[in-house]
Amino acid sequence: MARFSRSERLWAVLLAVSALMVVLAHQMPVLRGFPTALTLPLSEALNAVITPVFEALRPIGRLLSTMIEAPLAAIRAGLAWAPWPATVLGLAMLALYAGGRRLAVFALLALGVVALMGYWPKAMNTLALVLISVPLAVGIGFALGALGHLVPKARAGLIFLLDVMQTWPAFGYLIPLLLMFGFGPAAGLAASVIFSIPPMVRNTMLGLDEVPPAIVESALMAGARPGQLFWQAKVPVAMPQLMVGVNQTTMASLSMVIIIAIIGGFNDIGWEVLSAMRAAELGRSLGAGLVIVLIAVLLDRITRGFAGRRRGVAPRWLGPGLMAALVLALLLPGEALLPDEEGQRWLRRLDAWLLGFVAWSAPVFAVLRNAITYGVMLPMRLGFSGAASPMVWGFALSAPVTLTYIAVSLGGVVALGCRAPWRGIGFGFAALVFWTGLPGFPWPGVFLLMGFATWRAGGAGLFALAMGALLLAGVSGLWQPMMQSIYLCAVAVLISFAIGATLGVIAAESDRFSALLRPVSDTLQTMPQFVFLIPALMLFRVGEFTALIAIVLYAVVPPIRYVEHGLRSARADLTEAAVQMGATPWQLLWQVKLPLARGSVRLGLNQTIMAALSMLVIAALVGTRELGQQVYVALSRADAGAGLIAGAVIAAIALVADRLLRAPVA
Amino acid sequence: MTKKSMNAAVSLLALAAVTCGPALAAGPGAVDEPIRLAMLEWTGAQISARIAGKVLEKAGYKVDYVTAGNYPHFQGLADGDIAASVEIWLNNVGDVYPKVLAEGKVEDIGSLGLTTNEGWIYPKFMEEICPALPSWEALKDPDCVALLATPDTLPNGRFLDYPADWGSRAATIIADNTLPLTAVPSGSEGAQIAELRAASAAKTPLVMMFWAPHFILAEVEVGWVEMPPCKDQSNEHCIMPPDVNKVVWSGFSQKWPAAYEILKAFRFSTEDQQQMMLAIDEKGQSLDAVTTEWVAANEATWRPWLDQALN
Repeated sequence: MARFSRSERLWAVLLAVSALMVVLAHQMPVLRGFPTALTLPLSEALNAVITPVFEALRPIGRLLSTMIEAPLAAIRAGLAWAPWPATVLGLAMLALYAGGRRLAVFALLALGVVALMGYWPKAMNTLALVLISVPLAVGIGFALGALGHLVPKARAGLIFLLDVMQTWPAFGYLIPLLLMFGFGPAAGLAASVIFSIPPMVRNTMLGLDEVPPAIVESALMAGARPGQLFWQAKVPVAMPQLMVGVNQTTMASLSMVIIIAIIGGFNDIGWEVLSAMRAAELGRSLGAGLVIVLIAVLLDRITRGFAGRRRGVAPRWLGPGLMAALVLALLLPGEALLPDEEGQRWLRRLDAWLLGFVAWSAPVFAVLRNAITYGVMLPMRLGFSGAASPMVWGFALSAPVTLTYIAVSLGGVVALGCRAPWRGIGFGFAALVFWTGLPGFPWPGVFLLMGFATWRAGGAGLFALAMGALLLAGVSGLWQPMMQSIYLCAVAVLISFAIGATLGVIAAESDRFSALLRPVSDTLQTMPQFVFLIPALMLFRVGEFTALIAIVLYAVVPPIRYVEHGLRSARADLTEAAVQMGATPWQLLWQVKLPLARGSVRLGLNQTIMAALSMLVIAALVGTRELGQQVYVALSRADAGAGLIAGAVIAAIALVADRLLRAPVA
Repeated sequence: MTKKSMNAAVSLLALAAVTCGPALAAGPGAVDEPIRLAMLEWTGAQISARIAGKVLEKAGYKVDYVTAGNYPHFQGLADGDIAASVEIWLNNVGDVYPKVLAEGKVEDIGSLGLTTNEGWIYPKFMEEICPALPSWEALKDPDCVALLATPDTLPNGRFLDYPADWGSRAATIIADNTLPLTAVPSGSEGAQIAELRAASAAKTPLVMMFWAPHFILAEVEVGWVEMPPCKDQSNEHCIMPPDVNKVVWSGFSQKWPAAYEILKAFRFSTEDQQQMMLAIDEKGQSLDAVTTEWVAANEATWRPWLDQALN
């Protein structure tokens, strides 16, 4: 018999208590769902408080929005005035300056495609939005980052704030922003700035912190005043890291283009994606999505080019190219040159192909959908006790079946627990969850287990956060949607991580596969996820399964990236030693490389969870019953309080999951 | 505010507008300031907005078109950031619209004149596999229900409902008639259209809540279920064709008096709208070209609106 450590003993007791609750829950319905008697009209109360606050903030909001709209209109008018060949050439020259000849050619091709597809004016409107929101986010982010660097006391609070800003779904706070800024691009821009500040802050703090002490000291020796030390010594040294921040901020702000379009008022590419989604037109939405991907990749490479650029001479073609762009701009008429509707017609043909494919492949996909629904989703949602019915699995939950389940579970716990108590306890919890289904797990048990886990992993702060979130969800009547969200995300994370990690392992072994995979990953991450919903809907119909597919398509990218990165940067001397000792490739992978890459793999898992949670609101568009749907409903009812509460619960789930994964294993 | 009482309020307002009578021969007002018209997400509303805009331009006004989300744009209308929205489906206005209407920040200026329909539809091929269709009795037939069943709804058939936030009565009507169906919320309009397209292409059975006029009905052949008798005539137990009205910002009539009269007179037929939708969505013609063509061909329709307002 293995000896139990203290924490193992505690977990064993928790397992026993949970098992008791599960048994009792069959007799006492009050244990199953959070009791409705305990719910309070929280969202009404919140509305009563925040509506006047935001109404009072209106004059400031209106002032800000006029201040933003003037330069926005100017940029927009300038981009609309310039004939597209001139703009393309000008941007290509910028690319040449930042990243060399290959990037310039890419810029020419990418922007040419945008123009040919007939999206040029909308793409320019999007570019105008990005050109306004990025400098704002970079400016505010730099200031906050500098604050965090100079005032270490403010740092903990700042980092928590950044985490909240990145995990709180923007849909959840659009209504208060709309109240404050009024209808128009300003409200959407504010949401975009809120979401894209954090990477700038983090990179600013990192860059300033890592300035070598020798440089600081020599500046002090030279008699630099604090201002000089900061601006003339630290900032220039930290510049490459700051540029990484600019790059990440640009990407984040592009990903918010769709959110701005939800409000509307700007006739940009995001609006086009939403309109196409509304009409369920794959061709149009794919075209518009491709425009966003191309702009994202181009801006990414250009800003990255500036981040890594050494000061040097300008390329030879730069001067003549810019001159040519200027001449074109003055000579050519602006709007008359736009290509006609041919590109759009061509995109529409895609829809006919898709329908043909759907008609042809429907039986195959029906089998796949049914297999995963019956085999994975229904058991996870209803549990064994719910799925074992003639309707789902074809047999009833009779006494012998129940007894067999109990016997197998107990047997598993004892057999595994004898060798290593951890495994036995883990198996016991798995058997319990599999019996009830995740959403049906007794709610006091969820409080108990989460409370214990967060206390051990993160102390009082994390404990308070987790308990607060659970209580908030329960009291505001969101317990069931919350458990549904956790269940949907859990299934999605399991599938994404399994597929993504496998692809990452293969990519780490084969350079060619890695090169093939990279553009696919880039596209999956920057393409607005709405685009994937249309084919998924046609193949798998409205419901959780389609939501699952959409979430997996987005959340599969982080494990690919992090696992590949981790395996590739495994220390060469250690893998070499293993090969010398005669390890097979399989042993090398499992026993040397993966353990070495543990940190990176864990970060990948963390990012998978974040990605899955961030997709919940979008998944609501295909008819789910989770928190994302609540946020969405609140948005359309303009119920600011309900949106904020559902958003807060999503953010809290993300934060708790993040902290639990980051903590060292107990 | 419930839908019914809201509809009542709307019709009262319309009545008041009629009895007070239009102030004839109004001045044009601020012709230099553009009238900002809402361009909502769907093609029908964009056609209506463009035509209203082009008619206003004929009267000498400047017009800006503002793309706007359906729910957020009520806030814009209330604040005057958007001056008018000419195709508002009163069955889908969320909670902001009734509020700003009650506060007097927006003004309902009457019906657009579209003949609308709302009800349960199915792809036409289903009449072969459920011969009792279009009668609602078909949805009681176990064989037909079995065809509609999915793992999520077993043993019931699956009924695709409006998105959760639109407030549909389908679940109540299903319960009223003890139909063996489970209503599944669809999440978005796009999801409903995608399902209808796929169902028609792959011949998979489907019954769902829908409305007309809609461009998809020109593309996919559907049948409308003959509904069971309503339990009572309330909005919860009965589906009635929704009203589609024109709404302006409360300051509109002050700022552009003649334009106000024109928009009030502006009416538009379902047939015209449907033909234009087809030209845009199916034949890939541009919105601008199609609406310009209509304005050129239908001067007899819109000229009186202008004459009445300006002379």
